[in-house]
Amino acid sequence: MAQVLIVDDSSTVRDEVSTCLKNGGLTVVTAVDGKDGLVKLKADPGIKLVVCDVNMPNMDGLTMVEKIRGELGNKSVNLIMLTTESSPNMKERGKAAGVKGWIVKPFKGSAVMETFKKLVA
Amino acid sequence: MNDTPVSKILVLDNNPLHASLIKQFCDDHRLVAHKVRKGSEMSVLRTNIDLGGVLFSEDYGDSPEDTARIALEIHGARPELPIIIRRETQETLSGLPEGTQRACCAAYVATDMGALSKVIEEYIFCLMYPNALLRGVAEIAQVVLDAQFKNLVITMDTPYIVHDRMIFGELFSLIPLESAWCRGYMMLQCEEDALLELVDRGDAPDSAENFRGVNDLLSEITNLMWGAFKNRYIGDHGISSGAQAQIPLIVNHKHKYISFGTVNPQLCFRFTLKDPMTGHSSTLYARFIFNLNWSPEDFKEITHDVAEFFDAGELELL
Repeated sequence: MAQVLIVDDSSTVRDEVSTCLKNGGLTVVTAVDGKDGLVKLKADPGIKLVVCDVNMPNMDGLTMVEKIRGELGNKSVNLIMLTTESSPNMKERGKAAGVKGWIVKPFKGSAVMETFKKLVA
Repeated sequence: MNDTPVSKILVLDNNPLHASLIKQFCDDHRLVAHKVRKGSEMSVLRTNIDLGGVLFSEDYGDSPEDTARIALEIHGARPELPIIIRRETQETLSGLPEGTQRACCAAYVATDMGALSKVIEEYIFCLMYPNALLRGVAEIAQVVLDAQFKNLVITMDTPYIVHDRMIFGELFSLIPLESAWCRGYMMLQCEEDALLELVDRGDAPDSAENFRGVNDLLSEITNLMWGAFKNRYIGDHGISSGAQAQIPLIVNHKHKYISFGTVNPQLCFRFTLKDPMTGHSSTLYARFIFNLNWSPEDFKEITHDVAEFFDAGELELL
């Protein structure tokens, strides 16, 4: 069982974030887009935190988090967006879907690790 | 960084009487001159893929026919490069051999360099780029590259204007830029082997071990630069591309050529990534091609505070 689901179409980002979180003692599973993310989340009830990109093929990240709350009815998993986007409109849409936090890339593990650990506790 | 873009030009003019005049003109008009030895024009063209134009001369060849042959050869290889010919007495193309007239776009005489200034503005610096855009793109790229290549030294040349449409290296990425004031593409280009050599040493994320890893690395750099560009210059005022015009892009692999369907020049940033330990280096080009709309009068910068971009990576609670 993993604690964190990382959803990003870039293997560079998946590797970078996974390595950082694993080094911090967290267990991680990854997905390559929103569709894959929904499948992985459904398959692993241990996931407490989803770290998700916005711009992805097949299904974007905001659609994915809306489906997590809507279609999957999962109201408890913590949702954090990790993206190059910082538009207020997108953040509003994320907030409406229950996104707790927004990180603008590039990722700096040291800046967020303690918060991530609290979110999976 | 110098905010004013320059442009690299080939100087095919061996007349010693005008050498210092042309050099001074280039220095005064943001032109970086590459003097070419006669007979080596084509080999120089093969190794310079980021040119803005050619300064040619009527007496460059051994005869008017030879001059026409050389002009046509250059024009055939790089039809997008404006060739401007110096003549002894006449500021027009009339009276030149038909081939020379076909290859060249304008003529000038050494006694009226003011006319050449106008030609340079018309054919080379024909799009105006706001200084805030040049400065901002340079800052964005520097932050992104520093983040991706933590142990490398990143340097950038003064931005320059390119008419060439040659592809540098084996790997390039394209991403659309859509706003109320610009529509076009950002294109990043690099050489696969040189980049692999740098990242194999562990100076970049581990995934960059093979060509797919390098593909992904370039994709992520593109994504980061695109996102920062959007956040700084477009914001929520982007336009929907649904009803917008599009034109085909043409890529010719045999000739390493890419056309965006316009004669507009491209804005080019050239970065050198260097490993201070080994001396290995790699070049990365970032080109901006505003082929569908360019309205710099409507340009605006959303993020005035550069520090905002440097806060990237921090968690903002919603």
